[in-house]
This record gives sequence, C-alpha cells and structure tokens, in this order.
Amino acid sequence: MRTAPPWPARAAERFTGPAVLLILIAGALVVPQLTDRRDTITLLFLVFLYIALAQSWNLLAGYAGQINLGHAAFFGVGALVTRDLWTKEDVPFAAAFLAGGGAAVLFALAVGIPTFRLRGIYFAIGTLAMAEALRITVSNLRPQVTALPAQALATYDLEPRYYLALGLAVCTVLVAFILPRTRLSLGILAVREDEEAAEASGVNALAHKLAALVLSSFFAGLAGGTFAFYHVSYYPDRPFFPIWTFDAVLATFIGGVGTLAGPIVGATFFIVVRDRLAVEVQEVHQAIFGLLFILVVLMLPGGLVEAWSRARRLLRRTR
Amino acid sequence: MNLEPIFQNLVYGLFVGGLYGMAAVGLSLVFGVLKVLNVSHGELLMLGGYVSFTLFDAYGVDPFLSIAIAAPLLFLVGLGLHGGLFRWVMRLHEEAKIKNSLLIGFGLALVLENLALRVWTADERAITTGYSGEGVTLAGIVFPYTRMSGLVVAFMAVMLLHLFLTRTYAGRAIRATSEDWEAASLMGINVQRTYVVAFAIGTALAGVAGTLVSLGYTIAPSIGLAWTLKALVVVVLAGLGSIFGAFAAGILLGEAEATSIYVFGASYREVVGLVLFIIVLLLRPQGLFGRRVR
Amino acid sequence: MLEIRDVEVAYEDLQAIWGVSMEVAAGEIVVLIGPNGAGKTTLMRAIAGLQPPLRGRIVLDGAPIQSLAAHSIVERGVVLVPEGRRLFAGMSVYENLLLGAYTAKARAAQAKSLRRVQEVFPILAERRDQAAGTLSGGEQQMLAIGRALMSLPRLLLLDEPSLGLAPLVVRDIFEVLRQINRDGVTLLLAEQNARMALELAHRAYILEQGKVAGQGTGPEMLASDHVRRAYLGYVTAGEEASEK
Repeated sequence: MRTAPPWPARAAERFTGPAVLLILIAGALVVPQLTDRRDTITLLFLVFLYIALAQSWNLLAGYAGQINLGHAAFFGVGALVTRDLWTKEDVPFAAAFLAGGGAAVLFALAVGIPTFRLRGIYFAIGTLAMAEALRITVSNLRPQVTALPAQALATYDLEPRYYLALGLAVCTVLVAFILPRTRLSLGILAVREDEEAAEASGVNALAHKLAALVLSSFFAGLAGGTFAFYHVSYYPDRPFFPIWTFDAVLATFIGGVGTLAGPIVGATFFIVVRDRLAVEVQEVHQAIFGLLFILVVLMLPGGLVEAWSRARRLLRRTR
Repeated sequence: MNLEPIFQNLVYGLFVGGLYGMAAVGLSLVFGVLKVLNVSHGELLMLGGYVSFTLFDAYGVDPFLSIAIAAPLLFLVGLGLHGGLFRWVMRLHEEAKIKNSLLIGFGLALVLENLALRVWTADERAITTGYSGEGVTLAGIVFPYTRMSGLVVAFMAVMLLHLFLTRTYAGRAIRATSEDWEAASLMGINVQRTYVVAFAIGTALAGVAGTLVSLGYTIAPSIGLAWTLKALVVVVLAGLGSIFGAFAAGILLGEAEATSIYVFGASYREVVGLVLFIIVLLLRPQGLFGRRVR
Repeated sequence: MLEIRDVEVAYEDLQAIWGVSMEVAAGEIVVLIGPNGAGKTTLMRAIAGLQPPLRGRIVLDGAPIQSLAAHSIVERGVVLVPEGRRLFAGMSVYENLLLGAYTAKARAAQAKSLRRVQEVFPILAERRDQAAGTLSGGEQQMLAIGRALMSLPRLLLLDEPSLGLAPLVVRDIFEVLRQINRDGVTLLLAEQNARMALELAHRAYILEQGKVAGQGTGPEMLASDHVRRAYLGYVTAGEEASEK
C-alpha cells in the first residue's frame, strides 16, 4: 500500500474488485450448505486462516514497512491463551477468542517497544530470535498435548470453525482495506517512506508503528484462537513454529506485498496448490511445490497481483 | 568446588561454537557480497554433510579427507545454483532483490530437503569413525578427537578464506565488490562473475560445515532450517563485513549457550543464546564487529 | 578517438540526456561544463558503461561501446574517476591502487605503474597502508586519480574532480592532469569549476538540461559572453548599466 490506490475513474472498474469479493464471500457462505465433504471444507478453512494470517502480517510489512519474522509468536500466544481459557478454565469460547487476540497485542507491545529501535534486517532477525526463544520456552513449559475435553469432542462440528475462519478473513481484509483510507494511515506511510522526515514534521513514528503492530498482532492472535478452536489435539508449541511466519510471508510475497489482494491471492495459491500437489503427486509434492514456487518468483517478480494487473493493462491496450 | 565440569562445558561450548562460526562464515560472505540472504544455506550445509556421510558409508573415506571432495562438489553446486537461480534477482533493485532472493531460497530449501529425503530417508545419520568417542584428556578435561579436529578444520578454513580475500586479486575483487560494486566494475572487475564465485565459495563453506556436523553430531533432511536460523543469528550478531567476526561470534554464542546450562538447565540453552543475541542487538545495533554504524 | 552520437540516457526512470553529440580527439583535453543537474554525471556514467543509453551510439576508435559492460570498457582503456571518488574506504591506499590494476594488461605493468603513481603523488607512498577512508579530501582525489592511472587509461574520464576541495589543492591536481595529458592520456573532464577547467581545456562543451548548449575551444569559451555570465560570475557592461 504505497499510497492509497488511485480511485479508478470508470464506475465499472471501481466496482469490479469489491463485486468480485462479495461474490466470493457469498459463495463461501453457502459452501457448507452445498457440500458435506470434509476435505473441501477443511481446505477452505485453511485458505481463510492463511488469508487472515497473511493479511495481518501484511499490515506491518506492506504497510508500515517492517518485516516481522516473529509473526508466529502472535499466532501462538493467541492459540495458547484461547485454548487454555476455553478448555481448562471453562471460559465461553467467544470470550476466550477475544482474550487470545488481546493477549497477543499485549505481548506485541511488550516486545515491540524495545525492538522497534532496530531496522531492516536487524529487526527481522531480532523478531525471529524472539519468536524462537518463546517457542522453545513454551515447548519446555508445556510438553504435553492439549486435547479437547470429552464433551467438546462429542459436539465437535466443522461448520462453526469454517464460519469463524471465514469471518476472520473477511474482517482482516476489511481492516486492511479501510486502514489506508484513514488519517492514521498517512502518518504510517510517512514513517515508512522516510522516518526522519516524518519525525521532523511532528509525526510520532513510534506511535504509528505501534498502531500497525497492534492491529497486526490482534488479528494474528485471533487467527491463533481459530487454530485452537479447530484442532482436536496438538502440542502447545506447534502454533509457535516459524513455519507459520514463513507461510504468511511467502503467501504475501507471492501475492504481492503492500497490496490488498496480495495476501488473499497468495494464500489461496499457496494452500490450494500445495494441497493439490499433495494429493496428486504425493511422493515428491514438496519438491514440486518448491520448484513451482521458484518458477513463479522468477517469472513474476512483482507477485501474482502485479502480474495480473500487467496482463490487464496489456489486454486493455490491445483492445 | 569442582571446576572440572565447568571447564569441560566450556570446552564443548568452544567446539560447538566453532561449528556455529563455520556455518555462519559462508552465509556472511554471500550476504556481504551479493546482499542476499540465502535461506537455503542450512540445506546446503545438510547436503555437504550427506556427501561426506555417503563417502564414508559407501567407500570408507575418512570424513576429514572427504572435505577435499565435498567442498569442490558443493562449490560446483553453488555455481549452478547461482547461474540458474539467484543470478536473475541480482539485477533487481534492492527491495525486490531481497524479497525475491528470500522466496527463491525458500523454494530451493524445499526442493533440497525433499531430494535428501528421497535419497537418504528421514533417518538421522552420523559418521562414527574408529576414533570417534576417543580423545585426549588434559587435567581431567576430555578433548574428543573428532570435535577438536573439527575446530581446527573450521579455523583453518576461515584462515584460508581470509588469506584468499586479502592476498589474492580474486579475493580483493570480492571485497571491493562487496564495498561498492559500481566502483569495482570501474576497476575492470567483472561483477557478475564475482557474484558467482562468492556464492559458490559460500556454498562450499556450508558444505564443509556440514561435514563437521555429520561427524560431531547428526544430520537428517530436516536440520536445514535450524542451521539456517543459527547461522543467521550469528551473522547478524557479528555484524556485516567481518569474516573472522562471524567465526568469533559463533564461538561466543557457543560459549554463551554452554555457560547458560549451569544457570538455566540444558533445555533453555538455546533460549539464553537467543536472548543474549537480542540484548546485544538492542545495545549495539550494528553487531559486535560490524563496520557500518547505523 | 571517442564519438558520442545522438545519445539519450535515462537516470532512475527520468530521461536526463536528450540527443547529445560530442567528440574527443586523441591527445586532447575536453571539458564538459554546465550547471548542477545538467546531466554531466549521467553522460560520464553512460560512457563508462554504468548506464546503457536509451538511444544513440558511443564509439571508441571506430567500434561501438554503448552496450558493453563497464569492466569491458575499462579493458579498452577508458577509465572513469567517478563523482565523489568512490574509493574502497575500508581498504588501504595500497590495496585501492592494486585494485586499479585489475585487468590483465594493467596487472602486468603493475609495479611500474605503482612507482609512477607514487612519483606523481608522493603523499600516496607515505600513506600506503592507511585506510582510504581516513585520507583528506585532496588526498582521496589523488588516490582516485592514481587508482585510475593504474588501469593504464588511454582516455581518462573525470567527474567533478574539484568537488569539495580547496582551491590550492585543485590547482595542484589540475597541474597533475596537465602532466598526465602531456604523457599521452586523453582527458574528458566534467567540471563545475568552469574557470579552472576552461583554462586547462583544449576544447569544451556546455551541457544544459541534458543538451549541448554550446561548444568551442578553451580560449573561445573563456571569452564568450554567455559562459562568462552563466558560469564565470561576470556581469557584462550592458547588464551593469541596466541594473543601476
């Protein structure tokens, strides 16, 4: 989101994007009614989860220009707090869910304030180190599997999980859409372009970066809560693994950093392609995914979204 | 008070630190010259380990001798990887270059890990020679032959690299390119070729580190990520621009981890190392030995 | 020796040079003057191969070089002393000079070139093992020129050699340039300090807003009204009268 995208002149263009999105959302809403297939619903669940995870990462990266490689920590904290409150303390899920998001924010603020002094690659590796330290600590303190209690297990239904993930994905996309159009955004963009100049104009760089951080961590925490809601049993340190960060980063890069559609397209591509390969090619599917990945990067260096807009411009010119 | 266990621990910390340093030096070189972070570095290390393992397992080649085969082999692999993949991102401007090299590295890591999985299975492997487990004992402290030789080899490799970079024209060209590639091209230096060579050397160094890991520890297709992270931490801890600095930072990290065992226990060894790393970074953002002041 | 025909060059997505044509004959000192941002640096970079032109040809001894990589152009004897020197600050004076002699031809003559450079710039011999970044401005410029000389240039390009230097130092350096030219090296200089440059030059071109706005011999330019007003700080009699 380098600047707020130019408001397209032609009405048709103005409404195509949102219209497509609305159609997709409407479609997503009815899918569970149309099919009973667990694998389809699970696949879509994952797509929505990844959209939320990638979009929340994009808030800090594409928007505030900070490459945060410790994103999994927010995801993990959200999952941990939600899971514990919900399964151990009998807190109603909705409250536990929001608490998870809040806990992630608190954690983010606690580590964000000192860490924001670092720049560029130092910030990236520093956040990665922090997330890894947290992961190992959680792994040590909670070595036992967390499992859903008998009652929750008996009443386990995939549908609410599906809709939760869908709702979360829609919310994060909405926030990502609205944010560049608020006054807060001008400050964040100014900080991103030239921090010193922004400070000189009276923009409190730290405050703006923290605002982006709060939003990013909140939604990542909620995504973690969704993860905790979905899985029957897992090791508590699993959502803290760096692979969650990397998947979010890669999905966003592949789609296009700093764009609204980037994380959506990227996450969808990521999950769907990986899943299809796992089914079709089983044995070497990871390797093929890696190769495909490399090909996409080499041939579409701006990401899928940019390739799409280039293709559209090309079509327009040849019309 | 019995000081022996403490010193023994410090000695082990030194050995593992040398390994960390060895793993980091190749990454530091590539990052310093090409300004890209090759996140498949750990997988290249893993490959080097497997090459040595195979040579030992199938032909009985002593691992230290196998370095003479593994290093050139990985050098060639590096030539191919750069020529086929990373070369294409070198011409992009900085932001796109970093991003795309990250992505390519990730894809490559996946491919390499799966390749290793197919060829060698997921089983953990280690090289156990006739002299594994034996060592010299001085003042009650054990110095295992394998780890000691590993440290010596690592140090020699870094020394050789240093001499190469400071005494040869090709090495100076690499240093010049890492300082200012445009100015380097104005000297008549073929910058694209320098990139290839630097990348290949970095890959070869990763391979050597891998051999040492397969000797003193275990290797499996999945170790790539952990070693990449370790190398990344050491590289950033050291700061840019110093090869010896990367090696020294590795040893420091190894010692820090070893010492922490006494206070926090073995399961928090890595955590302490990471926390110390973060503290150093906050106090000294350019790294311990970094040249450029941010 | 060097011919530039209708060259157009872009710099960072903006076109900076619009259809420039120039010539440098062997043995000459040709100077490029013009205001800041006129495109002098862009043109020098284009000749040196750092910035391929959008259009036009750059011909050296009859062969086109506009699409060659910078290092190949150095091999043909065209060496640029870039704006701001661009020394390898972390490396010693000695290493910087050595790097100047990177090409095979230059490396073969390395010892001889080194002696010659240290004759011309004795201070470099003194500061041999010092880090290049610790030298004074004038010393750095000398090192930059010395380093370029190590490459055995037939055509030496200099971009703003007087930038940031005290007038006495500039005078010394220009004297050295004169000597280098007498030894057979052709010079193409881009300079803001128009007076000293024109006094040195055999011929000169004025570059304004990416186009050639005038040309002539050194003395001709020094006498030209336009040049005197725009670049030499003179006010002509006519203007003086109307200002009063």
